[in-house]
Amino acid sequence: MITTKKLTKKFDNFTALDQLSLHVNSGEIYCLLGANGAGKSTTINLLLGFLKPTSGEALINGKNVFDNNIETKKDIAYIPENLTLYPTLTAIENLDYFSGIGGQSLKKNKLESLLIQAGLQPEAFYKRTHTFSKGMRQKVGIAIALAKQAKALLLDEPTSGLDPKASNEFGLLLQELKQNNIAILMATHDLFRAKEISTNIGIMKNGKLLEQFVSQDISLSELEETYLKAMNYKELIV
Amino acid sequence: MIKKTIIKETKELFRDGRIKISGIIVLLLLGVSIWISNNKYKRSNEEFISAKIAERSVWENQGEKNPHSAAHYGTYVFKSKHPLSLLDQGVDKYTGTSIFLEAHKRNEAQYSNVADQTGLVRFGELSPDFILLFIIPLLIILSGYNSFTKEKEMGTMVLLRSQGVSFSKIILGKWMSIFFPICIIITSIFAIAGVLLFNIEGYAIFSWTSLGVLLIVYLFYYAVFINIVLFVSQHVKKSGISLVILLGVWIVSCLAAPKAASNFAESKYPYPTRQEFASKIVKAKKEGLDGHDPWNKEAKRLEKEVLLEYGVDSLQQLPFNFDAYRMQKGEEHQAIVYKNHYAALKKQFEKQADTYALISIISPFLPTRFLSMGIARTDYHSHWDFADASENYRIASQKFLNDNFAKNSKFGDWDYLANENTWKDLPKFEYQPLKLITVLKQQKFSMIALLVWGILTATLLFIFKPKN
Repeated sequence: MITTKKLTKKFDNFTALDQLSLHVNSGEIYCLLGANGAGKSTTINLLLGFLKPTSGEALINGKNVFDNNIETKKDIAYIPENLTLYPTLTAIENLDYFSGIGGQSLKKNKLESLLIQAGLQPEAFYKRTHTFSKGMRQKVGIAIALAKQAKALLLDEPTSGLDPKASNEFGLLLQELKQNNIAILMATHDLFRAKEISTNIGIMKNGKLLEQFVSQDISLSELEETYLKAMNYKELIV
Repeated sequence: MIKKTIIKETKELFRDGRIKISGIIVLLLLGVSIWISNNKYKRSNEEFISAKIAERSVWENQGEKNPHSAAHYGTYVFKSKHPLSLLDQGVDKYTGTSIFLEAHKRNEAQYSNVADQTGLVRFGELSPDFILLFIIPLLIILSGYNSFTKEKEMGTMVLLRSQGVSFSKIILGKWMSIFFPICIIITSIFAIAGVLLFNIEGYAIFSWTSLGVLLIVYLFYYAVFINIVLFVSQHVKKSGISLVILLGVWIVSCLAAPKAASNFAESKYPYPTRQEFASKIVKAKKEGLDGHDPWNKEAKRLEKEVLLEYGVDSLQQLPFNFDAYRMQKGEEHQAIVYKNHYAALKKQFEKQADTYALISIISPFLPTRFLSMGIARTDYHSHWDFADASENYRIASQKFLNDNFAKNSKFGDWDYLANENTWKDLPKFEYQPLKLITVLKQQKFSMIALLVWGILTATLLFIFKPKN
């Protein structure tokens, strides 16, 4: 569902992404780990068609993203690190708008059920979102993805800044989406969450994919050790 | 999708306290200005009707009198206020609406509104055209300056772009969400003005078509402003910068450009001074026949020609009063002098107007201003038309009086008195304002300029979209 083939992005002389090849099937969660500047967000921006690749291909459901921008976006949902909603609109109104422009015209009870599915408390449905915490906004973001019936979900560090409870809830939500046969690509710093929810894990540094694992084949401590080695943080390895 | 964007943008706009308060203030100002203007219009209309009746009564009741004395006694003609002057007063308050008609002389319009007001009038007044031309564009700027920049600043643009929607549809949705409230407000105000004017008794020249065309012109003007506002908001990163740029555009378009255009047109085609113009007319009049001076060279030549034509030896033998005949010929010579000099002046005005219209391409305000005044029949074209109509009436009146004098008396018979019914036979002055089609022909360049602005700004907005 989500595929990159030797995907490369250069900004003048700086190579932000270097020949990245990965594949995420439907019903899988692929976590990209890496420090800031590793190329995780660039990968997501290329998959969204926000950036034009220097070389290589970004494909969603077999279609080149840059050549079929509008069409491929219909299959994608995206949740950025700091998801912002329209502050003067309520959660329901935000969901109605984003699902509406995504082509779904949903009735009020359907919108409510999507927000329930995304884990938002019912008392927050009709509150303006300027009072929402990041976790609540992320849940509305998930509801937007659910409303869109997206086949692929791109997440850019969605759990950063969330408290452990909210982060755990978010992880559970992603597991549910995975079971709904959605392909999920998540860029994150959170090794623990990545190990817990993902099907596959990739470690990136300086725009390159250094290592790839099947999550089940590696323990959390092994993952941590591999990650720290890859990042050259050998002094931190216990 | 466009509908969803319109609903969302409208909700945001109306939940923004600044827009709500500004909108209410503008609506109140517009309502108050219409109310003030309506009262002024009704008063002025009543004054016009009563002055017209009173002046005609004075004319008809002047008693037995020599026709040429009646010609010097003179009468006033008045320009009625066009109903649409309720929305745009144009130059009416500066040009004057009364012209004194008398023998041998073409007078200028007098008793302008500003002459009766204090110096405070220089600070302007609350009128519908002020709100429509200056304030509504400001409201548009306030509504739309952050339309795109806020999406960039808040981060919602990223989520929006990830939805796989056409950016043109988002632009169109935002465009309509600004245009529709403005359209509803303006259309309602115009409809109220129309109903007010339609219900003023004793008035027949109000036209819904003219009102409709005026409404279309203003809506087009606002559409141009919305295009500019959204274009700037689309291409600028910060809301503050967008606001500053748009206020700059407003200052240049609405304040600086009209003054610069007016100064340029006047300096390129200057009017003669009043003294210079008057002295040229006096000189030209002296070069021809003076009806009052029988010893004048031209008068003597006319005398010879007439005696020869009628085959008589003396003026007493003519079947009409030669004094009156000479008076009429003098009048005809003077009418030509006035016609030529005013034609030259009008040509200069037209050159100024053409230059002004040409410069109007630099700002959407100028063509709208010209079209608005033209359709409201309160521009200089309308003033010239009224002045020319009253001059034609003056010439016809003088002929009527001189003919009466000539037919009913003999040469030297200055004691002849026309009976009191004579004055009633003089047709009344009935001025019909310019037809809408004539106005639109006069304003064709303004229409083209506004259309160019519309096409240009729409192209910029919908074609030159930001890359990311």
